[in-house]
Amino acid sequence: MRAFAALLLTAVPTVVLAQSAESAATVDLKVKPVLCIVDARTPECDIAFLVLWRSDRSGGYCLFNDFVPAPLRCWSEERAGELSEQRVVRDEFRYWITGSDTATELAVVTVEVLRLDDGDRRRNRRTRHVWDLL
Amino acid sequence: MNAASVASLFLVGVSLFGVAADASAQSPWRLGVALGHGVRTNPLIQSDDIPIALDLDIAWFGERFYFDNFDAGFTVIDNDAMTVNAVGRINSDRVFFGKTDTRLVTIGAAIGQATNFAVGAPLAQPTELTVPDRDYAVELGIEMLADGRWGQLQLAAHQDASGTHDGYEVFLDYGYGWRRQRWSVEPSLGFAYKSDELNDYYWGVRPDEASAALPEYQAGSGVNPHLKLAASYQLTRHWAVAVSAEYERLSTEAAASPIVADRDVVGYFAGAHYRF
Repeated sequence: MRAFAALLLTAVPTVVLAQSAESAATVDLKVKPVLCIVDARTPECDIAFLVLWRSDRSGGYCLFNDFVPAPLRCWSEERAGELSEQRVVRDEFRYWITGSDTATELAVVTVEVLRLDDGDRRRNRRTRHVWDLL
Repeated sequence: MNAASVASLFLVGVSLFGVAADASAQSPWRLGVALGHGVRTNPLIQSDDIPIALDLDIAWFGERFYFDNFDAGFTVIDNDAMTVNAVGRINSDRVFFGKTDTRLVTIGAAIGQATNFAVGAPLAQPTELTVPDRDYAVELGIEMLADGRWGQLQLAAHQDASGTHDGYEVFLDYGYGWRRQRWSVEPSLGFAYKSDELNDYYWGVRPDEASAALPEYQAGSGVNPHLKLAASYQLTRHWAVAVSAEYERLSTEAAASPIVADRDVVGYFAGAHYRF
């Protein structure tokens, strides 16, 4: 009886730990590329994005981005996955991944848009002297 | 206080203010710094090449007024077709004269030594040869800028306003840039026409500067063509690696000067660029 109680005592925390760990799965989300560069001549990026994710445990996961409300793709009983998609980008946006609870973002990656020219065309038009470097 | 000192003080002031300023995308400021290794050759006799370890990009553009790396201007016309600015600037020819020294020579400098292989005459005794000193000139002018899918064009004319050389320069530059995501390549080419007075001030040798080792020389007007190739790879929002190579060929009149040893001026730079 004592032995059973001891077994029960050690088993209960294990179950609790597993439950709390499931609610906080660690997901590594990577997006390539994460930088889109635009200027007056190229005002948007037409890029093939590769999205890779890996979790520390198997489960159900869904990948979203800012362009559509529905998931781009969902996986069940997986601990890793990837997706590639072609996008035309003008503004910064995010990819994020959720577990079965799609309201909770487990990992987020922001794709930045960098404007290398300026809103002021005078700046863009001024070329620097032949001996200036930048 | 000469023009260089004024310019240095202005640069320091602008730099300090720039650090405190918000350099975000909406800011009128454009701040950048490049650190790396580069060299610009010096065409003068008895001179050292100019090392380049740092290049600052400091610009502020207000509604009409602007400061852009030692050019100060006022926008007269700005529309889809073109921009026309009234500009004040500091002449760049003076930069070579800060890296010269005095030597004892036994063969004098010759007119045309950089253009037609002329050789100076042997001297009876070692004679001190000094490259004459020259001042910075503050110039006022007007520039026309235009761009489009065909590239960028800059046409400018500047007249000395400081009483330094009393001459003028007409400058034309055309560039075309390619960008493929993080990569950028921009070649450009053009020329600068420099008047008699300007060329003679910087490249001439006046009677009171002439000696047995340095003949008197009067430089006339001429055209300096130039080429430039700049390339960069954007690493992050702020960091890029940048390389550039430049070439300028002195006009025949400037290159024939006895204080010129090499007609071709070449420069290169490779380094990291941080944009604030």
